[in-house]
Amino acid sequence: MSATREDVGGTPLPPGWAKPAHQPDAFELTTTTFAERAAKTMARPFARGAIANATDHAAALTTARFVGTDHEALREEARKIRAHAIANLPDYLDQWIDQAERKGTIVHYAADESEARRIVAQICTDQQITRVVKSKSMASEEVSLNSALEAVGVDIYETDLGEFVVQAMGDRPGHVIAPILHRTKDEVHELFSAMAGHELPNEAEALTAFAREGLRHAFLTADAGISGGNFLIAETGDVLLVTNEGNGRLTTSLPPIHIALVGIEKVLPRRRDLAVLLPLLTGHGTGQQITTYVSVSAGPRRQGEPDGPEQMHVVLLDAGRSALLGGEFEEALHCIRCGACQNVCPVYRQVGGHAYGWVYGGPIGAVLTPLFRGQEEAGELAQATTLCGACDDVCPVKIPLHDLLLNLRRRSDAEGHVPRHEQVAFALWAQVWSRPLLYRASTAVARGSLRALARNGVVSAKSPLLRRWTAGRDLVVGKRPR
Amino acid sequence: MTDRASFLAAIRSTPRGLDPGLPDRREAPDAPTQLRAGEERPDRLQAEAEAASTIVHRVTAVDVGATVASVLVQADAQRIALTTDLAPFADDVQAALVAAGLTVTEYVEVAPDRARAGALDATVTGCIAAVAATGSVVTSAAGAGRAGALIAPTHICVVRDEQIVGGLHELFDGDALAEAGSLFALQSGPSRSADIEKVLILGVHGPGNVHLIIVAPD
Ligand code: SF4
Repeated sequence: MSATREDVGGTPLPPGWAKPAHQPDAFELTTTTFAERAAKTMARPFARGAIANATDHAAALTTARFVGTDHEALREEARKIRAHAIANLPDYLDQWIDQAERKGTIVHYAADESEARRIVAQICTDQQITRVVKSKSMASEEVSLNSALEAVGVDIYETDLGEFVVQAMGDRPGHVIAPILHRTKDEVHELFSAMAGHELPNEAEALTAFAREGLRHAFLTADAGISGGNFLIAETGDVLLVTNEGNGRLTTSLPPIHIALVGIEKVLPRRRDLAVLLPLLTGHGTGQQITTYVSVSAGPRRQGEPDGPEQMHVVLLDAGRSALLGGEFEEALHCIRCGACQNVCPVYRQVGGHAYGWVYGGPIGAVLTPLFRGQEEAGELAQATTLCGACDDVCPVKIPLHDLLLNLRRRSDAEGHVPRHEQVAFALWAQVWSRPLLYRASTAVARGSLRALARNGVVSAKSPLLRRWTAGRDLVVGKRPR
Repeated sequence: MTDRASFLAAIRSTPRGLDPGLPDRREAPDAPTQLRAGEERPDRLQAEAEAASTIVHRVTAVDVGATVASVLVQADAQRIALTTDLAPFADDVQAALVAAGLTVTEYVEVAPDRARAGALDATVTGCIAAVAATGSVVTSAAGAGRAGALIAPTHICVVRDEQIVGGLHELFDGDALAEAGSLFALQSGPSRSADIEKVLILGVHGPGNVHLIIVAPD
């Protein structure tokens, strides 16, 4: 497969580009505290400003998108669809598997993270895959797929522009939708110039072009494409993928093998449910009318089709999901990973995604991380919120994040993790107080936040999205130690 | 190795959560991705497509070939491929391109060689539908192929008036997707990224130059 590799168009990236000096092999969850991680981001003035700006922008676009429509009815419909799908998860998965297999998809079953890594590594070994293009997948972050594949001799190219930067920097994504929210153009410029071996123009356009050329070469020579999946459609066996750059579809179209790693909770009953979920995923994610590329595929290339992979594998990932079914945290499985709750969270807006120590940041990260990684490792995250409820108001599928966070706190208190929590809350609070600017920002959030934000043209205090938040809920940043 | 039976059994063994029932109302709730009362489909399609940075041309059937040719001349495209879903207009387009001094290939011939497909300057495709309220064209693996509509820096898509549906509900409830093959895709404007300091860049991995030709009934 690699004979004609070097002469196909695009510009090969220099060897070793994906092996930066610093590799994020282990998540920091176990080795550092929330406050320590938060302090790292807060020490970088750019990151703090950029995160706040970008999240303001996203929140404002979301609000604007649904003006003049019955947004609430749409969210309620979406909530019901997700609740129904999750309440009947085994049946819909069964149906999805039947349909997918009928269309030639090879389905694999990963009960936990290590099994997911083993399965994908095995496919790579069996099929002699040595070069992989990858489209952004949070599930693959969850299972640390890249390092497992590198261990069996696979070169991986993250093809989402932001993820490509993250990979080359040895960083971790800072936001579920915008992975390099916390990075400057100068940092990207420095990185790409070093990779290119000469100084590139310090402009987003030129930097993007550099990445495109390198990744184009990778697309044209990869043995396999690995993606996640935004939804699985039970009635048709479809895997749905949305991207704005087009890298998702190229990943699943050009290489001879497509492997998708998808969490089991992504199932929707019918294609028509997309008419409800897609506008919400996009509108709450980026504020667009629709994501530029929405690709829905079932099985490999069929007879008579001009292009497409010869094999399609889907790895269904449980890894802690089924344990939430039927319990008080089941609603966390309704999440469609739009990132909106991060954008409005006063804590996330200060500390960024890395502080949460694992894959997901913001309110949904504070809920999912303790549930997936355990109270012992991550219980403190439930304290990393102000309980202001802004996340409830913005969530497109109406997950009661506020209640889930309270329940988590209660549970971890019952399990006797109190002292560490208090330490964390205090440390967070102290971080904020020790920095005058930050303090002012946090009190703006805590007291007049909506008015302050609205004055900057950010959100309207009358926004239906934030109605409940504006109803006078008490806002507190951190907790004073008792 | 976990197999299907044990994987599903583990999930089935959990208690069952609250089921509000699958909503199945005939009237879908209001969404920005639906046609509004009084709107004409081609007009909304044009407005939404333009909002997503697509360049829209509204023509009658006789002008399709000339429109395609002028876009490709302007884009200075040399390596051009047509996909099979262009069928009703393929001959006209082919003739107009030849008249303009351009050479054309069939995407089905180019596609098996990734390197050749990756070196195309432009593709011209049809579609299986267009969605007015989202400004999207819907392409299929069976027609434009999986990558036919986004492999080259310039993409021209031709849609006939009667192929336009109002919104997403109409698309998924209708039968436009029935013969799509192994993939269908909604594509709405140029490839884009705002990853670097929120600066919007068009044409990242897919085309930056995207044209939609809406063909009015004669
Ligand atoms: S919890 Fe809701 S708002 Fe947050 S990412 Fe998930 S779906 Fe979006």
